[in-house]
Amino acid sequence: MRLIRLWVGNYRNYESAELEPAPEGLTVIEGANGDGKTNLLEAVAYLATLSSFRGAPVDALVRHGVERAVVRAEVEREGRSVLLEVEIHAGGRHRMMVNRQPVRRARDLLGALRVSVFSPDDLSMVKGGPGERRQYLDEVLVALRPANEALRADVERILRQRNALLKQAQARLAERKRGSDQLSPDVASTLDVWDAKLSDAGEMLADAREDLVMALEPQVTKAYGQLATGKGDVTLAYQRSWRGPLSDALATARDEDLRRAVTTAGPHRDELSLAITGGGREVPVPLPARTHASQGEQRSLALALRLGAHVLITESTGSSPVLLLDDVFSELDAARSSALLASLPLGQALLTTAGSAPAGFSPARTVSVRAGRVEAGRAS
Amino acid sequence: MYASAVQDLIDELGRLPGVGPKSAQRIAFHLLKLPTEDALRLARAISEMKARISFCRRCFNVAEGEACQICLDDRRDASVVCVVEEPRDIVAVEKTQEYRGRYHVLQGAISPIEGIGPEQLRVRELLARVQAEGITEIILCTNPNIEGEATAMYLARLLAPAGLKVTRIASGLPVGGDLEYADELTLGRALQGRRDVES
Repeated sequence: MRLIRLWVGNYRNYESAELEPAPEGLTVIEGANGDGKTNLLEAVAYLATLSSFRGAPVDALVRHGVERAVVRAEVEREGRSVLLEVEIHAGGRHRMMVNRQPVRRARDLLGALRVSVFSPDDLSMVKGGPGERRQYLDEVLVALRPANEALRADVERILRQRNALLKQAQARLAERKRGSDQLSPDVASTLDVWDAKLSDAGEMLADAREDLVMALEPQVTKAYGQLATGKGDVTLAYQRSWRGPLSDALATARDEDLRRAVTTAGPHRDELSLAITGGGREVPVPLPARTHASQGEQRSLALALRLGAHVLITESTGSSPVLLLDDVFSELDAARSSALLASLPLGQALLTTAGSAPAGFSPARTVSVRAGRVEAGRAS
Repeated sequence: MYASAVQDLIDELGRLPGVGPKSAQRIAFHLLKLPTEDALRLARAISEMKARISFCRRCFNVAEGEACQICLDDRRDASVVCVVEEPRDIVAVEKTQEYRGRYHVLQGAISPIEGIGPEQLRVRELLARVQAEGITEIILCTNPNIEGEATAMYLARLLAPAGLKVTRIASGLPVGGDLEYADELTLGRALQGRRDVES
Protein backbone atom coordinates (compact mmCIF):
# COMPACT_ATOMS: atom_id res chain seq x y z
CA MET A 1 0.00 0.00 0.00
CA ARG A 2 1.38 3.33 -1.04
CA LEU A 3 0.35 6.95 -1.10
CA ILE A 4 1.28 8.33 -4.50
CA ARG A 5 -0.09 11.84 -4.24
CA LEU A 6 -2.20 13.86 -1.85
CA TRP A 7 -4.25 16.94 -2.69
CA VAL A 8 -5.95 19.12 -0.12
CA GLY A 9 -8.30 22.01 -0.81
CA ASN A 10 -9.54 24.40 1.87
CA TYR A 11 -8.29 21.98 4.48
CA ARG A 12 -7.18 23.59 7.77
CA ASN A 13 -4.62 26.27 6.80
CA TYR A 14 -4.26 25.06 3.20
CA GLU A 15 -6.10 26.77 0.38
CA SER A 16 -4.76 24.28 -2.10
CA ALA A 17 -1.74 22.07 -1.84
CA GLU A 18 -0.24 18.92 -3.21
CA LEU A 19 2.14 16.46 -1.61
CA GLU A 20 4.04 13.75 -3.39
CA PRO A 21 5.88 11.54 -0.95
CA ALA A 22 8.66 9.17 -1.90
CA PRO A 23 7.14 5.89 -3.10
CA GLU A 24 9.35 3.88 -0.75
CA GLY A 25 11.07 4.73 2.50
CA LEU A 26 10.89 7.89 4.51
CA THR A 27 9.55 11.30 3.50
CA VAL A 28 10.37 14.06 5.95
CA ILE A 29 7.98 17.02 6.15
CA GLU A 30 9.80 19.91 7.76
CA GLY A 31 8.62 23.36 8.71
CA ALA A 32 8.15 25.75 11.61
CA ASN A 33 5.50 25.33 14.28
CA GLY A 34 2.04 26.20 13.00
CA ASP A 35 2.96 26.02 9.32
CA GLY A 36 0.80 22.95 8.72
CA LYS A 37 3.00 19.84 8.81
CA THR A 38 0.68 17.80 10.98
CA ASN A 39 -2.33 18.94 8.92
CA LEU A 40 -0.95 16.99 5.97
CA LEU A 41 -0.59 13.79 8.01
CA GLU A 42 -4.03 14.38 9.46
CA ALA A 43 -5.47 14.67 5.93
CA VAL A 44 -3.88 11.37 4.88
CA ALA A 45 -5.17 9.66 8.02
CA TYR A 46 -8.60 11.19 7.46
CA LEU A 47 -8.97 9.36 4.17
CA ALA A 48 -8.10 6.14 5.94
CA THR A 49 -10.27 6.49 9.03
CA LEU A 50 -12.74 9.35 8.42
CA SER A 51 -11.71 10.87 11.71
CA SER A 52 -8.97 13.19 12.90
CA PHE A 53 -6.23 11.53 14.92
CA ARG A 54 -6.03 14.78 16.83
CA GLY A 55 -9.62 14.25 17.92
CA ALA A 56 -10.65 17.44 16.14
CA PRO A 57 -14.31 18.01 15.25
CA VAL A 58 -15.16 18.11 11.55
CA ASP A 59 -15.66 21.88 11.36
CA ALA A 60 -12.08 22.39 12.59
CA LEU A 61 -10.85 20.66 9.43
CA VAL A 62 -12.50 23.07 7.03
CA ARG A 63 -10.51 26.22 6.32
CA HIS A 64 -11.88 29.24 8.08
CA GLY A 65 -14.52 31.10 6.09
CA VAL A 66 -15.34 28.39 3.51
CA GLU A 67 -18.03 25.72 3.49
CA ARG A 68 -16.20 22.59 2.57
CA ALA A 69 -12.79 21.03 2.36
CA VAL A 70 -11.63 18.39 -0.07
CA VAL A 71 -9.03 15.72 0.57
CA ARG A 72 -8.07 13.56 -2.37
CA ALA A 73 -5.38 10.96 -2.77
CA GLU A 74 -4.03 8.66 -5.38
CA VAL A 75 -3.19 5.40 -3.71
CA GLU A 76 -1.51 2.29 -5.01
CA ARG A 77 -3.03 -0.84 -3.68
CA GLU A 78 -2.06 -4.33 -4.75
CA GLY A 79 -0.41 -2.85 -7.81
CA ARG A 80 -3.45 -0.84 -8.87
CA SER A 81 -4.03 2.86 -8.62
CA VAL A 82 -7.11 4.01 -6.69
CA LEU A 83 -8.36 7.58 -6.44
CA LEU A 84 -9.97 8.41 -3.10
CA GLU A 85 -11.79 11.61 -2.32
CA VAL A 86 -13.66 12.99 0.65
CA GLU A 87 -15.54 16.25 0.68
CA ILE A 88 -15.84 17.47 4.26
CA HIS A 89 -18.68 19.88 4.97
CA ALA A 90 -18.37 22.21 7.93
CA GLY A 91 -21.81 21.04 9.04
CA GLY A 92 -20.43 17.54 9.50
CA ARG A 93 -21.53 15.71 6.34
CA HIS A 94 -19.25 13.79 4.06
CA ARG A 95 -19.27 12.95 0.41
CA MET A 96 -16.99 10.12 -0.51
CA MET A 97 -15.79 8.95 -3.88
CA VAL A 98 -13.69 6.01 -4.94
CA ASN A 99 -12.35 6.27 -8.49
CA ARG A 100 -14.73 9.22 -9.03
CA GLN A 101 -17.73 7.02 -8.22
CA PRO A 102 -19.72 8.20 -5.22
CA VAL A 103 -19.92 5.64 -2.42
CA ARG A 104 -22.64 5.82 0.17
CA ARG A 105 -21.31 3.79 3.03
CA ALA A 106 -18.19 4.75 4.93
CA ARG A 107 -17.32 1.05 4.84
CA ASP A 108 -16.76 1.24 1.11
CA LEU A 109 -14.08 3.88 1.55
CA LEU A 110 -12.46 2.54 4.67
CA GLY A 111 -9.82 -0.05 3.97
CA ALA A 112 -8.88 1.42 0.59
CA LEU A 113 -6.05 3.21 2.39
CA ARG A 114 -4.66 2.04 5.69
CA VAL A 115 -2.37 4.01 7.97
CA SER A 116 -0.48 3.52 11.22
CA VAL A 117 -0.29 6.80 13.11
CA PHE A 118 2.03 7.84 15.89
CA SER A 119 1.33 11.21 17.44
CA PRO A 120 2.64 12.87 20.62
CA ASP A 121 -0.77 12.26 22.23
CA ASP A 122 0.02 8.54 22.19
CA LEU A 123 1.98 9.04 25.38
CA SER A 124 -1.40 8.71 27.07
CA MET A 125 -1.39 5.01 26.13
CA VAL A 126 1.38 4.58 28.69
CA LYS A 127 0.58 7.35 31.18
CA GLY A 128 -3.20 7.38 30.93
CA GLY A 129 -5.87 5.07 32.30
CA PRO A 130 -6.62 1.49 31.18
CA GLY A 131 -9.29 2.77 28.77
CA GLU A 132 -6.58 4.24 26.52
CA ARG A 133 -4.82 0.89 26.32
CA ARG A 134 -8.04 -1.05 25.66
CA GLN A 135 -8.81 1.39 22.87
CA TYR A 136 -5.36 0.78 21.40
CA LEU A 137 -5.95 -2.99 21.43
CA ASP A 138 -9.40 -2.64 19.88
CA GLU A 139 -8.08 -0.39 17.11
CA VAL A 140 -5.45 -2.97 16.22
CA LEU A 141 -8.06 -5.75 16.34
CA VAL A 142 -10.22 -3.87 13.83
CA ALA A 143 -7.22 -3.19 11.59
CA LEU A 144 -6.47 -6.92 11.58
CA ARG A 145 -10.08 -8.00 11.06
CA PRO A 146 -12.84 -5.49 10.23
CA ALA A 147 -15.51 -7.82 11.70
CA ASN A 148 -14.03 -7.11 15.12
CA GLU A 149 -15.61 -3.66 14.96
CA ALA A 150 -19.06 -5.27 15.17
CA LEU A 151 -17.95 -7.34 18.16
CA ARG A 152 -16.63 -4.27 19.96
CA ALA A 153 -19.83 -2.33 19.22
CA ASP A 154 -21.97 -5.28 20.41
CA VAL A 155 -20.15 -5.45 23.74
CA GLU A 156 -20.57 -1.71 24.20
CA ARG A 157 -24.29 -1.86 23.42
CA ILE A 158 -24.92 -4.87 25.66
CA LEU A 159 -23.12 -3.11 28.51
CA ARG A 160 -25.25 0.00 28.06
CA GLN A 161 -28.40 -2.12 28.13
CA ARG A 162 -27.28 -4.11 31.16
CA ASN A 163 -26.27 -0.98 33.09
CA ALA A 164 -29.59 0.68 32.26
CA LEU A 165 -31.39 -2.38 33.61
CA LEU A 166 -29.25 -2.39 36.77
CA LYS A 167 -30.14 1.24 37.37
CA GLN A 168 -33.87 0.53 36.99
CA ALA A 169 -33.63 -2.52 39.25
CA GLN A 170 -31.79 -0.48 41.85
CA ALA A 171 -34.44 2.22 41.77
CA ARG A 172 -37.17 -0.38 42.17
CA LEU A 173 -35.43 -2.05 45.09
CA ALA A 174 -35.10 1.35 46.75
CA GLU A 175 -38.82 1.99 46.27
CA ARG A 176 -39.95 -0.99 48.28
CA LYS A 177 -37.58 -0.35 51.13
CA ARG A 178 -39.18 -2.68 53.54
CA GLY A 179 -39.80 -6.30 52.77
CA SER A 180 -37.39 -8.47 50.90
CA ASP A 181 -34.44 -7.30 48.87
CA GLN A 182 -35.30 -9.89 46.25
CA LEU A 183 -35.49 -8.83 42.63
CA SER A 184 -38.80 -9.32 40.93
CA PRO A 185 -38.62 -12.51 38.81
CA ASP A 186 -39.13 -10.43 35.66
CA VAL A 187 -36.08 -8.27 36.31
CA ALA A 188 -33.98 -11.23 37.41
CA SER A 189 -34.74 -13.22 34.27
CA THR A 190 -34.13 -10.20 32.02
CA LEU A 191 -30.82 -9.65 33.75
CA ASP A 192 -30.01 -13.33 33.12
CA VAL A 193 -30.44 -12.69 29.40
CA TRP A 194 -28.11 -9.69 29.39
CA ASP A 195 -25.60 -11.68 31.45
CA ALA A 196 -25.69 -14.46 28.85
CA LYS A 197 -25.26 -11.95 26.00
CA LEU A 198 -22.42 -10.18 27.79
CA SER A 199 -20.59 -13.37 28.67
CA ASP A 200 -20.73 -14.59 25.05
CA ALA A 201 -19.60 -11.35 23.43
CA GLY A 202 -17.34 -10.37 26.34
CA GLU A 203 -15.43 -13.66 26.31
CA MET A 204 -14.98 -13.36 22.56
CA LEU A 205 -13.60 -9.83 22.84
CA ALA A 206 -11.30 -10.71 25.74
CA ASP A 207 -10.06 -13.84 23.91
CA ALA A 208 -9.37 -11.78 20.80
CA ARG A 209 -7.50 -9.16 22.83
CA GLU A 210 -5.53 -11.80 24.70
CA ASP A 211 -4.45 -13.49 21.46
CA LEU A 212 -3.55 -10.09 20.09
CA VAL A 213 -1.36 -9.24 23.09
CA MET A 214 0.51 -12.53 22.66
CA ALA A 215 1.11 -11.76 19.00
CA LEU A 216 2.04 -8.14 19.75
CA GLU A 217 4.48 -8.73 22.57
CA PRO A 218 7.45 -9.94 20.51
CA GLN A 219 6.95 -7.09 18.02
CA VAL A 220 6.65 -4.42 20.69
CA THR A 221 9.59 -5.85 22.63
CA LYS A 222 11.68 -5.81 19.48
CA ALA A 223 10.73 -2.24 18.60
CA TYR A 224 11.37 -1.10 22.16
CA GLY A 225 14.71 -2.86 22.25
CA GLN A 226 15.77 -1.06 19.08
CA LEU A 227 14.61 2.33 20.33
CA ALA A 228 16.16 1.91 23.77
CA THR A 229 19.31 0.56 22.12
CA GLY A 230 19.58 -2.35 24.47
CA LYS A 231 18.79 -0.43 27.63
CA GLY A 232 15.84 -2.07 29.24
CA ASP A 233 13.10 -4.43 28.22
CA VAL A 234 9.32 -4.38 28.17
CA THR A 235 6.65 -6.98 28.90
CA LEU A 236 2.99 -6.92 27.94
CA ALA A 237 0.22 -8.84 29.65
CA TYR A 238 -3.53 -8.85 29.23
CA GLN A 239 -5.29 -8.91 32.58
CA ARG A 240 -8.95 -9.86 32.70
CA SER A 241 -11.15 -8.28 35.32
CA TRP A 242 -12.56 -11.70 36.19
CA ARG A 243 -11.51 -15.31 36.69
CA GLY A 244 -13.08 -18.42 35.20
CA PRO A 245 -16.08 -18.16 32.88
CA LEU A 246 -17.51 -14.65 32.61
CA SER A 247 -21.03 -15.99 33.18
CA ASP A 248 -19.98 -17.25 36.65
CA ALA A 249 -18.22 -13.98 37.41
CA LEU A 250 -21.32 -12.00 36.48
CA ALA A 251 -23.47 -14.22 38.68
CA THR A 252 -21.10 -13.75 41.60
CA ALA A 253 -20.89 -10.01 41.06
CA ARG A 254 -24.63 -9.51 40.67
CA ASP A 255 -25.31 -8.17 44.17
CA GLU A 256 -22.39 -5.78 43.91
CA ASP A 257 -23.48 -4.73 40.41
CA LEU A 258 -27.02 -4.07 41.61
CA ARG A 259 -25.76 -2.04 44.54
CA ARG A 260 -23.54 0.13 42.37
CA ALA A 261 -25.70 0.00 39.22
CA VAL A 262 -22.67 -0.74 37.05
CA THR A 263 -21.21 -3.89 35.56
CA THR A 264 -18.06 -4.68 37.54
CA ALA A 265 -16.73 -7.60 35.50
CA GLY A 266 -16.18 -7.75 31.77
CA PRO A 267 -13.84 -6.69 28.99
CA HIS A 268 -14.56 -3.02 29.75
CA ARG A 269 -12.67 -3.45 33.03
CA ASP A 270 -9.68 -5.30 31.64
CA GLU A 271 -6.18 -3.93 31.49
CA LEU A 272 -3.20 -4.20 29.21
CA SER A 273 -0.36 -4.05 31.66
CA LEU A 274 2.94 -2.63 30.46
CA ALA A 275 6.03 -3.27 32.54
CA ILE A 276 9.68 -2.42 32.11
CA THR A 277 12.85 -4.02 33.40
CA GLY A 278 16.52 -3.15 33.17
CA GLY A 279 17.56 0.26 31.92
CA GLY A 280 19.97 0.66 34.85
CA ARG A 281 17.44 -0.41 37.46
CA GLU A 282 18.62 -2.61 40.26
CA VAL A 283 15.26 -4.27 40.73
CA PRO A 284 15.19 -7.37 38.51
CA VAL A 285 11.37 -7.62 38.46
CA PRO A 286 9.26 -5.79 35.88
CA LEU A 287 7.83 -2.50 37.15
CA PRO A 288 4.64 -0.86 35.85
CA ALA A 289 5.58 1.56 33.10
CA ARG A 290 2.88 4.04 34.06
CA THR A 291 4.47 4.82 37.40
CA HIS A 292 8.06 3.62 37.15
CA ALA A 293 9.31 4.46 33.67
CA SER A 294 11.07 7.74 32.93
CA GLN A 295 9.47 10.20 30.54
CA GLY A 296 11.85 9.13 27.77
CA GLU A 297 11.13 5.46 28.37
CA GLN A 298 7.39 6.10 28.32
CA ARG A 299 7.71 7.89 24.98
CA SER A 300 9.78 5.06 23.54
CA LEU A 301 7.22 2.57 24.79
CA ALA A 302 4.30 4.47 23.24
CA LEU A 303 6.17 4.54 19.94
CA ALA A 304 7.08 0.85 20.29
CA LEU A 305 3.39 -0.02 20.76
CA ARG A 306 2.55 1.73 17.48
CA LEU A 307 5.50 0.31 15.57
CA GLY A 308 4.85 -3.19 16.92
CA ALA A 309 1.22 -3.02 15.82
CA HIS A 310 2.32 -1.68 12.44
CA VAL A 311 4.63 -4.65 11.88
CA LEU A 312 1.99 -7.13 13.05
CA ILE A 313 -0.64 -5.62 10.72
CA THR A 314 1.86 -5.66 7.85
CA GLU A 315 2.69 -9.30 8.46
CA SER A 316 -0.83 -10.57 8.88
CA THR A 317 -2.50 -8.59 6.08
CA GLY A 318 0.41 -8.92 3.69
CA SER A 319 0.62 -5.22 2.93
CA SER A 320 2.17 -2.42 4.86
CA PRO A 321 -0.02 0.49 5.99
CA VAL A 322 1.41 3.96 5.38
CA LEU A 323 3.30 4.88 8.53
CA LEU A 324 2.63 8.43 9.76
CA LEU A 325 4.97 9.73 12.47
CA ASP A 326 3.95 13.12 13.83
CA ASP A 327 6.61 15.21 15.52
CA VAL A 328 8.42 12.12 16.66
CA PHE A 329 11.88 13.62 17.25
CA SER A 330 10.62 16.06 19.85
CA GLU A 331 9.73 12.99 21.86
CA LEU A 332 13.08 11.28 21.74
CA ASP A 333 16.69 12.08 22.53
CA ALA A 334 19.31 12.06 19.77
CA ALA A 335 20.34 8.44 20.35
CA ARG A 336 16.77 7.19 20.27
CA SER A 337 15.93 9.33 17.21
CA SER A 338 18.83 7.79 15.31
CA ALA A 339 17.80 4.35 16.52
CA LEU A 340 14.25 4.93 15.28
CA LEU A 341 15.41 5.97 11.82
CA ALA A 342 17.80 3.06 11.61
CA SER A 343 15.08 0.57 12.51
CA LEU A 344 12.09 1.93 10.57
CA PRO A 345 10.03 -0.93 9.16
CA LEU A 346 9.96 -1.41 5.41
CA GLY A 347 7.36 0.42 3.40
CA GLN A 348 6.35 4.02 3.08
CA ALA A 349 6.63 6.41 5.99
CA LEU A 350 5.88 10.13 6.42
CA LEU A 351 7.40 12.02 9.31
CA THR A 352 7.01 15.62 10.46
CA THR A 353 9.67 17.60 12.25
CA ALA A 354 10.18 21.19 13.29
CA GLY A 355 13.93 20.74 13.51
CA SER A 356 16.26 18.82 11.29
CA ALA A 357 16.68 15.09 11.10
CA PRO A 358 19.49 13.61 13.18
CA ALA A 359 22.95 14.01 11.71
CA GLY A 360 24.11 11.40 9.26
CA PHE A 361 20.65 10.47 8.11
CA SER A 362 19.20 11.06 4.68
CA PRO A 363 15.51 10.50 4.04
CA ALA A 364 14.27 9.42 0.61
CA ARG A 365 12.61 12.80 0.19
CA THR A 366 12.31 16.05 2.13
CA VAL A 367 9.35 18.37 1.72
CA SER A 368 9.18 21.86 3.21
CA VAL A 369 6.01 23.44 4.48
CA ARG A 370 5.81 27.22 4.87
CA ALA A 371 2.60 28.83 6.12
CA GLY A 372 0.13 26.62 4.30
CA ARG A 373 2.27 26.03 1.20
CA VAL A 374 4.04 22.86 0.27
CA GLU A 375 7.34 23.57 -1.42
CA ALA A 376 8.64 21.21 -4.03
CA GLY A 377 10.03 18.05 -2.57
CA ARG A 378 13.66 17.34 -3.12
CA ALA A 379 15.24 13.97 -3.14
CA SER A 380 18.38 13.74 -1.14
CA MET B 1 -41.70 32.63 11.62
CA TYR B 2 -44.94 31.47 9.93
CA ALA B 3 -48.55 32.01 10.87
CA SER B 4 -49.07 29.89 13.94
CA ALA B 5 -51.42 27.38 12.23
CA VAL B 6 -48.70 26.64 9.65
CA GLN B 7 -46.02 26.39 12.31
CA ASP B 8 -48.20 24.00 14.33
CA LEU B 9 -48.54 21.72 11.31
CA ILE B 10 -44.79 21.85 10.62
CA ASP B 11 -44.11 20.90 14.25
CA GLU B 12 -46.57 17.99 14.09
CA LEU B 13 -45.17 16.70 10.81
CA GLY B 14 -41.64 17.03 12.17
CA ARG B 15 -42.50 14.51 14.88
CA LEU B 16 -43.19 11.79 12.33
CA PRO B 17 -40.49 9.16 11.86
CA GLY B 18 -38.14 9.92 9.00
CA VAL B 19 -39.38 13.49 8.57
CA GLY B 20 -36.85 16.23 9.32
CA PRO B 21 -37.53 19.95 9.70
CA LYS B 22 -36.91 20.64 6.00
CA SER B 23 -39.29 17.91 4.80
CA ALA B 24 -41.90 18.95 7.35
CA GLN B 25 -41.81 22.45 5.92
CA ARG B 26 -42.11 21.18 2.37
CA ILE B 27 -45.08 18.93 3.17
CA ALA B 28 -46.83 21.72 5.07
CA PHE B 29 -46.55 24.12 2.15
CA HIS B 30 -47.65 21.45 -0.26
CA LEU B 31 -50.78 20.87 1.84
CA LEU B 32 -51.37 24.60 1.97
CA LYS B 33 -51.50 24.74 -1.81
CA LEU B 34 -53.82 21.72 -2.17
CA PRO B 35 -57.55 22.19 -2.78
CA THR B 36 -59.37 22.07 0.56
CA GLU B 37 -61.11 18.82 -0.33
CA ASP B 38 -57.82 16.99 -1.00
CA ALA B 39 -56.23 18.18 2.21
CA LEU B 40 -59.29 17.22 4.24
CA ARG B 41 -59.22 13.74 2.74
CA LEU B 42 -55.85 13.21 4.40
CA ALA B 43 -57.14 14.58 7.69
CA ARG B 44 -60.19 12.29 7.45
CA ALA B 45 -58.05 9.27 6.67
CA ILE B 46 -56.04 9.90 9.83
CA SER B 47 -59.04 10.37 12.08
CA GLU B 48 -60.89 7.39 10.54
CA MET B 49 -57.88 5.20 11.13
CA LYS B 50 -57.60 6.30 14.72
CA ALA B 51 -61.31 5.79 15.28
CA ARG B 52 -61.68 2.40 13.58
CA ILE B 53 -58.40 0.63 13.97
CA SER B 54 -57.28 -0.88 17.20
CA PHE B 55 -55.13 -3.83 18.15
CA CYS B 56 -56.28 -7.42 17.77
CA ARG B 57 -57.27 -8.81 21.14
CA ARG B 58 -55.50 -12.04 20.48
CA CYS B 59 -52.29 -11.22 18.63
CA PHE B 60 -52.01 -7.39 18.88
CA ASN B 61 -51.76 -6.94 15.15
CA VAL B 62 -53.63 -3.91 13.82
CA ALA B 63 -57.29 -4.78 13.47
CA GLU B 64 -60.62 -3.31 12.51
CA GLY B 65 -62.80 -4.48 15.36
CA GLU B 66 -61.78 -7.05 17.94
CA ALA B 67 -59.77 -9.48 15.85
CA CYS B 68 -57.36 -9.00 12.96
CA GLN B 69 -57.75 -10.47 9.47
CA ILE B 70 -55.28 -13.26 10.20
CA CYS B 71 -56.88 -14.38 13.46
CA LEU B 72 -60.29 -14.35 11.74
CA ASP B 73 -59.05 -16.61 8.94
CA ASP B 74 -60.05 -20.20 9.74
CA ARG B 75 -57.62 -21.66 7.25
CA ARG B 76 -54.61 -20.50 9.27
CA ASP B 77 -52.84 -23.09 11.36
CA ALA B 78 -53.61 -22.21 14.97
CA SER B 79 -50.91 -24.47 16.39
CA VAL B 80 -47.98 -22.39 15.11
CA VAL B 81 -47.33 -18.83 16.26
CA CYS B 82 -44.74 -16.49 14.82
CA VAL B 83 -43.60 -13.88 17.35
CA VAL B 84 -42.67 -10.49 15.86
CA GLU B 85 -41.80 -7.07 17.27
CA GLU B 86 -44.15 -4.85 15.26
CA PRO B 87 -47.26 -5.22 13.04
CA ARG B 88 -45.17 -4.19 10.02
CA ASP B 89 -43.06 -7.31 10.55
CA ILE B 90 -46.20 -9.37 9.92
CA VAL B 91 -46.49 -7.73 6.51
CA ALA B 92 -42.90 -8.73 5.77
CA VAL B 93 -43.47 -12.37 6.75
CA GLU B 94 -46.82 -12.52 4.93
CA LYS B 95 -45.17 -11.42 1.69
CA THR B 96 -43.14 -14.62 1.71
CA GLN B 97 -46.37 -16.65 1.42
CA GLU B 98 -44.41 -19.36 3.19
CA TYR B 99 -46.17 -19.09 6.48
CA ARG B 100 -49.67 -20.30 7.27
CA GLY B 101 -49.72 -20.00 11.05
CA ARG B 102 -50.76 -17.16 13.30
CA TYR B 103 -48.79 -14.29 14.82
CA HIS B 104 -48.10 -12.58 18.09
CA VAL B 105 -46.96 -8.95 18.10
CA LEU B 106 -44.81 -8.00 21.08
CA GLN B 107 -45.09 -4.29 20.28
CA GLY B 108 -41.36 -3.77 20.79
CA ALA B 109 -38.21 -5.49 22.00
CA ILE B 110 -36.48 -5.62 25.37
CA SER B 111 -34.36 -2.49 25.66
CA PRO B 112 -33.64 -1.18 29.16
CA ILE B 113 -32.10 2.00 27.66
CA GLU B 114 -35.56 2.91 26.37
CA GLY B 115 -37.19 1.65 29.55
CA ILE B 116 -38.70 -1.39 27.82
CA GLY B 117 -38.74 -4.63 29.78
CA PRO B 118 -40.89 -7.77 29.39
CA GLU B 119 -43.71 -6.11 31.34
CA GLN B 120 -43.97 -3.37 28.70
CA LEU B 121 -44.30 -6.00 25.97
CA ARG B 122 -47.12 -8.44 25.21
CA VAL B 123 -45.29 -11.29 26.89
CA ARG B 124 -47.86 -12.21 29.51
CA GLU B 125 -50.46 -12.36 26.73
CA LEU B 126 -48.23 -14.73 24.77
CA LEU B 127 -47.92 -17.07 27.75
CA ALA B 128 -51.68 -17.03 28.21
CA ARG B 129 -52.12 -17.99 24.55
CA VAL B 130 -49.70 -20.90 24.83
CA GLN B 131 -51.86 -22.43 27.53
CA ALA B 132 -55.23 -21.57 26.04
CA GLU B 133 -54.78 -22.24 22.32
CA GLY B 134 -52.95 -25.56 22.15
CA ILE B 135 -49.91 -24.06 20.44
CA THR B 136 -47.20 -26.58 19.53
CA GLU B 137 -44.55 -24.39 17.90
CA ILE B 138 -43.36 -20.83 18.48
CA ILE B 139 -41.14 -19.16 15.88
CA LEU B 140 -39.12 -16.27 17.32
CA CYS B 141 -39.00 -13.74 14.52
CA THR B 142 -37.54 -10.71 16.31
CA ASN B 143 -34.92 -8.52 14.61
CA PRO B 144 -31.35 -9.87 14.36
CA ASN B 145 -29.90 -7.01 16.44
CA ILE B 146 -28.81 -6.93 20.09
CA GLU B 147 -32.28 -6.12 21.44
CA GLY B 148 -34.10 -8.56 19.16
CA GLU B 149 -31.66 -11.37 20.03
CA ALA B 150 -32.02 -10.64 23.75
CA THR B 151 -35.80 -10.71 23.44
CA ALA B 152 -35.65 -14.03 21.59
CA MET B 153 -33.38 -15.50 24.26
CA TYR B 154 -35.68 -14.23 27.02
CA LEU B 155 -38.73 -15.79 25.39
CA ALA B 156 -36.94 -19.07 24.64
CA ARG B 157 -36.03 -19.41 28.32
CA LEU B 158 -39.50 -18.41 29.44
CA LEU B 159 -41.18 -20.89 27.11
CA ALA B 160 -38.84 -23.80 27.78
CA PRO B 161 -40.88 -25.25 30.68
CA ALA B 162 -44.02 -25.29 28.51
CA GLY B 163 -42.46 -28.14 26.53
CA LEU B 164 -43.29 -26.90 23.04
CA LYS B 165 -41.06 -26.45 20.04
CA VAL B 166 -39.34 -23.06 20.01
CA THR B 167 -37.38 -22.02 16.92
CA ARG B 168 -35.44 -18.93 15.89
CA ILE B 169 -35.30 -17.68 12.30
CA ALA B 170 -31.92 -18.11 10.63
CA SER B 171 -29.83 -15.14 9.62
CA GLY B 172 -27.68 -15.16 6.55
CA LEU B 173 -27.40 -14.20 2.93
CA PRO B 174 -30.06 -12.56 0.81
CA VAL B 175 -31.32 -14.82 -1.98
CA GLY B 176 -30.31 -13.79 -5.48
CA GLY B 177 -27.40 -11.77 -4.15
CA ASP B 178 -23.73 -12.19 -4.81
CA LEU B 179 -21.35 -13.37 -2.12
CA GLU B 180 -18.92 -10.62 -2.98
CA TYR B 181 -21.47 -7.93 -2.11
CA ALA B 182 -22.42 -9.44 1.25
CA ASP B 183 -21.08 -7.55 4.23
CA GLU B 184 -18.62 -9.55 6.27
CA LEU B 185 -20.88 -9.70 9.32
CA THR B 186 -23.79 -11.29 7.48
CA LEU B 187 -21.49 -13.62 5.63
CA GLY B 188 -19.85 -14.58 8.93
CA ARG B 189 -23.25 -15.39 10.45
CA ALA B 190 -24.16 -17.39 7.39
CA LEU B 191 -20.96 -19.41 7.75
CA GLN B 192 -21.64 -20.07 11.42
CA GLY B 193 -25.17 -21.23 10.61
CA ARG B 194 -24.16 -23.48 7.70
CA ARG B 195 -26.04 -26.69 7.09
CA ASP B 196 -25.33 -30.11 5.65
CA VAL B 197 -26.26 -30.35 2.01
CA GLU B 198 -28.94 -32.94 1.37
CA SER B 199 -27.69 -35.49 -1.07
